[in-house]
Amino acid sequence: MEAMAKVTINDRTVEVPSGTSVMDAIFHAGYDVPLFCAEKHLSPIGACRMCLVRTGSPRKGPDGQFILENGQPKIFWMPKLSAACITAVSDGMVIDTLSDEVKHAQSGMVELTLFNHPLDCPTCDKGGACELQDRSYEYGLVEKFYQPDPLELPLYTRFEMTRRHVDKHHALSPFIVLDRERCIHCKRCVRYFEEIPGDEVLDFIERGVHTFINSEEAGLPSNFTGNIVDICPVGALLDQTARFRARNWEYDSTETTSMDDACGAAITVDARSGLLERIRAAERREVNEVWISDAARFGHEWVNENRVRSPLVRKEGRLVEASWEEALEAIRKGLQGVARTDIGVYLGGHASLEEGLAAFELAQALSTPHRDFQGRTAYPVTVFSPASFDDLLDAEFVLVLGDPAEEAPTLHLRLSEYSRGLKPAGKLNHGTPFADLNIKERMPRLTDKLALFSVYPANTAKWAGASAVHAPGAEVALLSALLGQGEAPAGLEQPVAWVKGRLAASQRVVLVLGAGVLNQPEAATRARQLADRLGAKVMCMTPAANARGLEALGLFPGKGGAGWTETGPKAVYFAYLPQEAQLRAASFRILHLTHRHPLADRYADVVLPGQTAYEKRGHTLNLEGRVLPLEPAGINNGEADGAVAALGLIAEAAGVKAPFRLVRQATRWLHEKLKLPAVMERWMPKATGWAASESDVTQGPLYLRPTMWRQEQLVGAVARAVEVRLEMSPETARAQGLADGYRVELDTPRGVEKLEVRVVPGLPNGFMYLPALGAWAGRRVEARILVGGEA
Amino acid sequence: MGFFDDKQDWLREVFAQYPDTPQGRRAALMPMLRRVQQDEGWISPERQEEIASILGTTATEVAGVMSFYSYYQALPTGRYHIQVCATLSCAIGGADELWDELVQELGILRGEVTPDGLFSIQKVECLGSCHTAPVVQINDEPYVECVTKARLHALLQGLREGKRLEEIVLPGKAGHVVHNRGEEVGA
Ligand code: SF4
Ligand code: FES
Ligand code: FES
Repeated sequence: MEAMAKVTINDRTVEVPSGTSVMDAIFHAGYDVPLFCAEKHLSPIGACRMCLVRTGSPRKGPDGQFILENGQPKIFWMPKLSAACITAVSDGMVIDTLSDEVKHAQSGMVELTLFNHPLDCPTCDKGGACELQDRSYEYGLVEKFYQPDPLELPLYTRFEMTRRHVDKHHALSPFIVLDRERCIHCKRCVRYFEEIPGDEVLDFIERGVHTFINSEEAGLPSNFTGNIVDICPVGALLDQTARFRARNWEYDSTETTSMDDACGAAITVDARSGLLERIRAAERREVNEVWISDAARFGHEWVNENRVRSPLVRKEGRLVEASWEEALEAIRKGLQGVARTDIGVYLGGHASLEEGLAAFELAQALSTPHRDFQGRTAYPVTVFSPASFDDLLDAEFVLVLGDPAEEAPTLHLRLSEYSRGLKPAGKLNHGTPFADLNIKERMPRLTDKLALFSVYPANTAKWAGASAVHAPGAEVALLSALLGQGEAPAGLEQPVAWVKGRLAASQRVVLVLGAGVLNQPEAATRARQLADRLGAKVMCMTPAANARGLEALGLFPGKGGAGWTETGPKAVYFAYLPQEAQLRAASFRILHLTHRHPLADRYADVVLPGQTAYEKRGHTLNLEGRVLPLEPAGINNGEADGAVAALGLIAEAAGVKAPFRLVRQATRWLHEKLKLPAVMERWMPKATGWAASESDVTQGPLYLRPTMWRQEQLVGAVARAVEVRLEMSPETARAQGLADGYRVELDTPRGVEKLEVRVVPGLPNGFMYLPALGAWAGRRVEARILVGGEA
Repeated sequence: MGFFDDKQDWLREVFAQYPDTPQGRRAALMPMLRRVQQDEGWISPERQEEIASILGTTATEVAGVMSFYSYYQALPTGRYHIQVCATLSCAIGGADELWDELVQELGILRGEVTPDGLFSIQKVECLGSCHTAPVVQINDEPYVECVTKARLHALLQGLREGKRLEEIVLPGKAGHVVHNRGEEVGA
C-alpha cells in the first residue's frame, strides 16, 4: 500500500499519495491553480511562478507531539508563497488558493507575463486555445483592463505599454515557425526535447530579458518536433502545415487513432469546411500519453488534393466518372468467366478490423486463397505474445532489433521513459499529474537495461548499453548466437556477449522486433525461440498499422494463394497501389483508391473512391493487441466508402452472399462471434492456418530501410523536410563506380526512380539503402542501377 | 585541424576531474569553452561543433551554455575587449553616456573590432561592483572603476601606447563619488 498524505485545500480534505505535488493535490480536490510551465510527463521546474499558493503545516514540538492551538494542531504558514508545482505535499498540510494574498500574487504574475507579450491574438493561430489568454481572463487584473460595457472604453489598456520587439517569424523547420515575441520562457519545449525524444536540438540562448529559444541544428533534426506546438502555452511555436487555416473554434475536431504506424497513438483530426487542416496529439495514457510523431502530425497535406470522389469505370479505354451502380455493373461484367478462386482480395495495411473481416469472409465465400494485406510480414506476428507499454516500463531488460524511432515512433518515446526508470504516471481525479515530482530534468539514462541492433544507425541506440549496426541478413546469425547456437557475427562479439549476460540475469524481458527480422522467416523463427526460452513478451514493429488485427482475422494467403507483392489471380481488388507487374498480370483490376495515380489511369478497369484512415469508422489493433477506435473526421470525400462496402459490391457481382454490407454489422459480428473486447482492452488471438509462401522474401543488394514517412505524405512541407537519397558506404560506392552527389536511376518496387547518391561512412558494405516510405520496409530487393553519373 | 586535436592530455586531465558518466562528461563543457576563449579570443561555430562532438551533445546545448555567460564570445574580439556594465547602478552612474563615448571614439559597435585589431566593446550585466559605478572591465583584468569620460580617454590612450593596465595612471581617484551622507564611495 502506497503511503498517503492527508491534505486540506481551502475547505476540502483529500488523501493523495505522498510525493504528490501541491499542484496535483489542488486539482485532485477539485480546485484550480494557474500554471504555465508545468506539463504532463515533463519535469516540474517552477520557472513561471504562476502557481503561487500559500501552504502551511503542523509542527511537532520537542516532545514529539503536535504543537496545539485551541486543541487543534497549530498550522505554521510558510513565510512566503510557494510554487505549487515543485512543492511536495506533506501529511497534514494546509493549502490556501483563495485568499487575497494568493490572488494578488497570481494576478501580478499574469500581468508580468503579459508585460512584453504582443497583443496580436486576433492574428495568432493559438487564439481561442491559448493558456495565456485563458489565465489572463481567469487570473489577470480583469476589472482593471476589461471593457465594462461594449460601448465604453476600458479605463486602462495594455496597449499603452511599450513592448520588446524581436524576431516574429523565425522558421525553425519546414514544419514549425517560432514567434519570439510571444514566448513566455516556460521552457516546456526545451525540456521536452531533452526528456521525451532525447534530441537536444532546442535551448535557451542568452539570459535574463534577452533570453530566446533557438537551435543550432538546422531544421530541428528529430522525428518528434511537432509536440512542442501542442505544449507551447502561447502561440510562440506554431504548426506551419496548419498556419492561418482557421480559428480554433471553427474546427470540427475528431479524436481517432493514428494509422501511421502500429503503435496506435491517439490523434485529434481538425477539419474545416470538409478539408483536413490540422492534426494534433490526443491523450491516450496507456499508449502515446500525449505525444505523437511528426509523420502522424504533419503528414496530412496529401489528403485534400487530387482525390477520387466517385467511382470511375473504363469506357472506350478511358476512365470516366460513374455511379456505384454503374461500377457494380462493370464489375459484374469483368468477373464473368473468371473462376471465383481466381479472384484476389487485397487490403491496405491500415484497413480496420471490420474491413479485414469483410475481406476474409468474402475470400471464404469465394473459396479463393488469394487474400492478403499490404505490408504483411513474411513471418506471422500473432505467434508472439505481445507486451503492453506497461510491460515495457516494468521490464528488466529490453532487446531491440530494429529502429523504433522510425518503425514505431511512439515506442521510441516510451523507451525514453523506460531508460529514465519511470513508471506509468499515477492517476488522480483529474487524470495524469501535471507536476509529477518523480520526473526530473536530465535524469541519467539507465543504459544497462537496453540493447539495440539495427541495420541502419538508430536514434534509440543512444540509450542502449550495447548497440551495433550490422549488415541486412545478419539477424539470423545474431539471434543464433544469442540462443547459444553459434558464433556471433564478426564485429558483434562484444555486444552479443554483454546481451547474453544481461538476458541471463533478467527476469522480465521484452523483445522488440522490426520489419527487418519479421521479413526473414529464419530470423523470426529464432526470435521466437529466444522469446519462448526467456518467457519474453514481444513488440512487433510491423509496417502495416493493423497487422496484428488483420492477421488475427486470417487475412493472409491461403494454400497456393498469392501474397500482396505477388502476381497470381486473374481478377484483383487492391485497396492500395500495387506494383505495375501485379496489375499487368491480372486481366480485371478493381482499384479502391483515395487518390488518382497514373498507374490506376493506365491499368484499372474500375476505380472505387476510397477513404483515408482519417475517414474510417471501426476498430484497429495496435502492436500491444489493444483494441482502438477509428472515428471518421469531417472530411468531404464525395462518394468515397470503405472496403466493407466495396467488398459487398464485389460479393454481389460475383454472385456470392456478403455476410454484411455495413460497418456496424461487421462490428457486431466481431464482438459477438469473435469475442472482440471493448475499446482499450486487449485481444490476442493467434493466426491459424498460416500458409503464406516465403517466396516473396527476396534477396538483393537494395535494402528498404523503414521510415516513419510514407510515400504519399511527401508533398508540401514534408517534401521540403524529408530527403530521399540512395545511401551506401564509401566502399560500396567505389565498387559501383559512384560517388557522393551522383544522380542515378534505379528500378525499385515503386517503379523507376531518379535518386541522388549519398555516401555514408559506417554503413555495412555491399548494400544500398533506400528509405522504404511504406509497406516495403525491412525488405531486400534486387535493384539495378540503370544510369548513373555526376550531377 | 581541430582545436583540441593536440590537447588530448589536457582533455584527459579535465575529464578526470568529473565523474565518468555522460553527465560528468558534459561538465567539461565549461573548461573547454574557457580554453578556447582564452586561446582564440572567441569561440567560433566550428569550435562549438567540435566541443559538442567531443562531449556527445548538440551544438545547440553548447550555444545555450555559452551564451549564458557574457565572458564567452561568439564573435571575434580585439586584443582589448572592453566590457561596460549597463545594469542599474552603472546605468544611473552614466554607463549609457560612456558607451556612446566609446562608440564615438572607437568607431565600432558591438560585434566589431577596430581596424588596428586593438578594441572591441560589449555591454554586460552587473559586474558586482555597483558601489563604484560605472564599471568597465578589460578582458579578464581587474575592474576599472568610477569611469568618467576623462578616465576612459586616459585608459584608451594608455592601452594604445601598449601599457599594461596597472601601469596606466587615470585622472581622479577611485572612490571619488561621494555618498549624500558625505563619505566617499568605496572608502
Ligand atoms: S516557445 Fe513556447 S514552450 Fe517554448 S519556452 Fe517559449 S512559451 Fe514556452
Ligand atoms: S512555476 Fe510554473 S507552473 Fe509552477
Ligand atoms: S550595476 Fe554595474 S557593477 Fe553592478
